[in-house]
Amino acid sequence: MSKKINIQSRRQFIKTISAGTAIAATGIAGFPLIARAASPVKVGIVHPVTGWAQYSGSQCRFGAMMALEEINAAGGIKSLGGAMLEAVLGDAQSKAEVGAAEVEKFNEAGVSAIVGAYASNICLATTQAAAKHGIPHVVDVGVNDKIVGRGLENTFRFGPGFGIITKAGADSFLAINKAAGSPTKRVAIVHENTTGFGAGIAGLMTKALQPDGIDVVEVLPHPTPNKDFRNIALKLKEIDPDVVIPSHYYNEGVLFLRTLQRQKVQPKAIYSVLGGASSQYRFVKEFPEAAQYVIDCNHWFDPKNKDALAVRRKTEAAGKHFNYEVFLAYTAMKFTADAIERAGSADRGKITEAMAGSNWSGHIMPYGPTKMENGQNIGARPLVTQVQGDEIVVVSPSEYADTKAVFPRPA
Amino acid sequence: MNSRGQLLGLCVLMVILAIGPLLISSGRWIEFLELTLFVAVLGQGWNVLAGYGGQYSFGHAVFFGTGAYIQALLQFKFGWNPWVAMWFAMSGTTLIAAGIGYLSFRYGLRGSYFALITLAFAEAFHVLARSLDSITEGGRGVQLSLNQDPSQAIAEFQFNFAGPFLKTYGFYYTIFIILLITYLLTWLMSNSRFGAQLIAVRENEEAAMALGIDAFRVKMKAICLSAIITSSAGVYYVQKFLFIEPGIAYGPAKSVEALFAPIIGGLGTIVGPLLGSFFIHGVGEVAKEVIVYFVGDRPGVDLIFFGMILILVLAFLPRGLYGLLEMLWLRLRGKHNA
Repeated sequence: MSKKINIQSRRQFIKTISAGTAIAATGIAGFPLIARAASPVKVGIVHPVTGWAQYSGSQCRFGAMMALEEINAAGGIKSLGGAMLEAVLGDAQSKAEVGAAEVEKFNEAGVSAIVGAYASNICLATTQAAAKHGIPHVVDVGVNDKIVGRGLENTFRFGPGFGIITKAGADSFLAINKAAGSPTKRVAIVHENTTGFGAGIAGLMTKALQPDGIDVVEVLPHPTPNKDFRNIALKLKEIDPDVVIPSHYYNEGVLFLRTLQRQKVQPKAIYSVLGGASSQYRFVKEFPEAAQYVIDCNHWFDPKNKDALAVRRKTEAAGKHFNYEVFLAYTAMKFTADAIERAGSADRGKITEAMAGSNWSGHIMPYGPTKMENGQNIGARPLVTQVQGDEIVVVSPSEYADTKAVFPRPA
Repeated sequence: MNSRGQLLGLCVLMVILAIGPLLISSGRWIEFLELTLFVAVLGQGWNVLAGYGGQYSFGHAVFFGTGAYIQALLQFKFGWNPWVAMWFAMSGTTLIAAGIGYLSFRYGLRGSYFALITLAFAEAFHVLARSLDSITEGGRGVQLSLNQDPSQAIAEFQFNFAGPFLKTYGFYYTIFIILLITYLLTWLMSNSRFGAQLIAVRENEEAAMALGIDAFRVKMKAICLSAIITSSAGVYYVQKFLFIEPGIAYGPAKSVEALFAPIIGGLGTIVGPLLGSFFIHGVGEVAKEVIVYFVGDRPGVDLIFFGMILILVLAFLPRGLYGLLEMLWLRLRGKHNA
């Protein structure tokens, strides 16, 4: 009896051992993979959250963090066994050299990719510093075309640069003007000239409009920051252009449009290109009269995309304004996460390859499937919006338009 | 502490700065040291004119920016080699400084009037850099092409894509050598006849003139030396970041950085700007880490903390950190002798 039991026990014992060994072997072989996969993937997020660009930088950080939290809430990076994304935050203090120093901090922290850094001059420094360490860097806002034109293999921009935006801005303006029976012929450009973007846009707009018979009667530069637009408003009153084309940052945008309102400068249209305030919900809410009928060619989300509207609701529920800084940084982070997913690795080189070959289309922007050429997403484009009532609506191009532009605006 | 004591202290600091980075492989801390030395050079430029000469400038960015712009434009427009361009950048800035100095000192501008005129010059150059589009590229700024060929790293004065050593330490030792030369120059100046005359002018210009010192000539020399030192920081900045624009070059940030370091560290001393720069960056970095550790990432809170410490230093250490160190040193020596 006892022998039988012993035999049975021995058989059971061998069976148990075999099964246990198999499970253990699977465990031993599998555990490191699971452990490795489950370790978080670090992403550096650098923006100017103090200094002159503090508001925009904070908005960018909010957008990037919202995307990161969504990705983690949805189960992290699936190809890495659900690895979470871990943010390593940096403050560029609105200075290029501090931005570059933050990249060194990221490198030491072992980040796999970087998202940032809002202003063009900071982006130029951070992308260069990231290239030194082979860290893929996704530029969220910086529109200077030189950022992606230097042959840096690690640098990608998901949104459009000012070359693309200005061309689209000029084309749309000519189309809207023509559709309205060409009521405007004389244009004045008002642009910031302290940083690269405003001065670049003014030059390109002048070149783009003149061949089509639009007379650029005056180009009025101003510094950033600028505390007084009365001289420019008086000059505009004197030359009385049909259209004013402003191009500047948020604070100057608000002050400029409010000064035009107070000085009763009433051109037939205000058509901004990267107008700073012209397509900002905050501005529309705080100064609805000054914002009324202002047109802006700028970064904008796909208004027919349900996810975009959900992101807007979520942003507003958090007490933030849903502006271009938020959705561009949000998209840049999602693009980064998609590349990590495709790469199936936290390795910087593999993520760079995945970014370069990305055809990601699950985003909220009107760009279509991603296609990178020399680091620039060539499908990226701006939309033309107009403030109508208390809403900002898309008026061009037709495939994204909510309604038609009110052009010229009512007197 | 006498001049020989200062030189000894400076030598010890320089040896630490020369060897220290080789012992730490951390890119973050090397970058921290680089930024610190960069501000220390800017600060020494200001210190020569204001600390030793008593001519307080509020617009030292004009020298930093002009050096940076000349260095960038000679490469961008004419394809000059950066090693050649740097001499022209420093000489060109010296000429500009001579012009500003002549206009200011010739008409007897002193104290707050001199401070305001330098501020005005910096703003005028800011406007010119934005407006003279065909020369300066306007607000777009000047972007130099990036060299990615490691074999050309030294020839192109760009170390981002150099071999492992230069990639890590290239720009650190560039700013260290600039610091070494400029601080040596300052020490030589402070021990020369010219240095003594400059200090005499600072203390009492009329009395100095009564003793036969040509105050105008002395101040002109000081502003030119100050410009050479400050423009060398501009040259370094352009080669490191390969980009310059009017806001970076002539904006108020660089002028403020230049005067903060020596005021905190110790005006009219050789090591003052270096001590001040270490203090500013060190306290800033520590404040940031402490805030993150205790209350999480709260942008700007570290600046409040930093501001409070700054007020305390300015209120209780009128001679800066150098004065504090000197006082401690004297007490230690007194105890030792007793």
